[in-house]
Amino acid sequence: MTDLADRPEETPAPRRKRSRHVALLLAGAAVLTLAACEDDAVDAQAFPDLNSCIAAAQEDGLWFTEEDCRTQFAAAEQTHLETAPRYESRELCEEQHGAGACGTDPAAGDPATAQQQGGGGFSFMPLLVGYMMGSMLSRGGGVFSQPMVRTPTGYSTPSGNQTFASNSGSGRVPATTFNRAPTTMGQQPMSRAQVAQRGGFGAGATARTATGGARGFGG
Amino acid sequence: MQKLSLPERPGWRDRATELGFTFADMGGEPYWDETSAYRFTLGQIEDDIEAPGAELHAMCRQAVAHAVTSEEWLTRLEIPRPYWDFVERSWANGEPELYGRFDLAYDGKGPAKLLEYNADTPTSLYESASFQWLWFEESRDAGVLGPNTDQFNRIHEALAERWAAICAPGENVHFAADKDNPEDYATVEALAWAAREGGLGAHFTPLSGIGVTDKGQLADDQDRVIGTLFKLYPWEDMLRDDFAPNLQPSGARFIEPPWKAVVSNKGLLPLLWHLFPNHPNLLPAFFQADIEAARRGEQTPYAAAIAEAGPLLAGGHVTKPIFSREGAGVVIHEGGRETDRAPDDSYSHHPHVVQALAALPDFDGFHPVLGAWIVGEDCVGLGVREDRARITHNLSRFKPHFIEG
Repeated sequence: MTDLADRPEETPAPRRKRSRHVALLLAGAAVLTLAACEDDAVDAQAFPDLNSCIAAAQEDGLWFTEEDCRTQFAAAEQTHLETAPRYESRELCEEQHGAGACGTDPAAGDPATAQQQGGGGFSFMPLLVGYMMGSMLSRGGGVFSQPMVRTPTGYSTPSGNQTFASNSGSGRVPATTFNRAPTTMGQQPMSRAQVAQRGGFGAGATARTATGGARGFGG
Repeated sequence: MQKLSLPERPGWRDRATELGFTFADMGGEPYWDETSAYRFTLGQIEDDIEAPGAELHAMCRQAVAHAVTSEEWLTRLEIPRPYWDFVERSWANGEPELYGRFDLAYDGKGPAKLLEYNADTPTSLYESASFQWLWFEESRDAGVLGPNTDQFNRIHEALAERWAAICAPGENVHFAADKDNPEDYATVEALAWAAREGGLGAHFTPLSGIGVTDKGQLADDQDRVIGTLFKLYPWEDMLRDDFAPNLQPSGARFIEPPWKAVVSNKGLLPLLWHLFPNHPNLLPAFFQADIEAARRGEQTPYAAAIAEAGPLLAGGHVTKPIFSREGAGVVIHEGGRETDRAPDDSYSHHPHVVQALAALPDFDGFHPVLGAWIVGEDCVGLGVREDRARITHNLSRFKPHFIEG
């Protein structure tokens, strides 16, 4: 390993109290990932709306066309409607997605009558704030997309498995980013307990004031 | 034990940046400070720190054996009742510990006194194991330190050996921490490098990305199942999070193991004093509630020991919440008056313990606390923190040390 600093053997060092080598380099989180997923990355580009995609598609040499923008935006809108997380209250939704990032469920119909319709009932869901297209062309596939919604600090796909700092720009992302999240349309909206199925750690419950990034959890 | 002014290594700040040690200065103040260093004799290291460190850890293991089957102590330690079995099983199954750090008061003479045990989520590991080691090697190469000097710092090698001993060859270990906190992250990365050196696979996952699969297993942020999880996140919080009910059924192995909830709890201090009264490395310690009961004249199993320690406690004592980090909630009382108080009181709503005051020595206006590192069951290294204040906190300076004589 290149990060190891080695010291030559020393003569005579009775009861030596220190390591002969240590790991000196703090390389950052990127190094501590599974090597196997590297070749799983695909080209991706995110857009806040359809028009910015169409504008980008005018440039030469990109892997998507204006037609891709239109089809994939329509697909992302439909996927958003079908798979975006649904919450039983606006408060719970905004906790997960940030203030002002949620709206009522268009699939639930009129809120006044939704309670009588059965099925999912009235719920709140994060608004569509963009979409991400990915190219599977090098893997014999086509162009795929996922809708993007807000998180309190950035953006994510409906499954929440991938988060992004921005809803525009290009890069390489894991192919699993384009896996479809489970259908939520017509399902019971999530209660507080169900939301805990991911991100259930980190509340720092024993400290009265919020801990979060500034303080850390070590000592 | 002496504090010596020494020349700083030229360009060490650039070297720190290059190595990714980004928090060498914190809050506008130096955190890593090599303008001076502490010198210990080999006898001080071996007889006053290394051997007592291993003995204290062995005593803590006995305390765990006592507490995990005691309804009284599990209650006093505020371990949530639904997880008593989880904690007890981890001890009964012999789940191995990885590391911890004793904070000791020591002035070069007489027995070091245990202030507390950071047995679950100790940080400052990278500084202790790696950057301090580099300081020593470079200072000796430069002739600043003599040829017959050494450093009590086998931390990195001991960690690599420990990982190899407690995991199967090639086992994949997930490391979870708050990735936005550089100090926490550096500690996890130092542990992960040691794990890789021990022949294991090491993968980082943000704490907030951990999920549960439909089969109840824990999964990382890429939906990969977690078999072994190192978490730089305290058990007392873990057992109170929304996810707590998923932990035991997940079948995942946790490092540190759940029984560390007993040790990394300041209720350990009265438990140790109860089991090992008058041990030279312990300070008298009691639950505040027991002291109040004794004051009301109630007969408790602790009343006699409280009466015996009365004069010492009256001279000076410290109160601290059973859960707290980095000095939060610590209050010092001397001669019947409050004489010092940590500004951070975010843990002060928890039950408190009362511990006799061990006056920290004063070196040029700074008060050092010794961090004795435990890996497995052995004491393998030392890191010194010092502060102008008498209550050490997360911005207190890290000072290098060496052995000579």
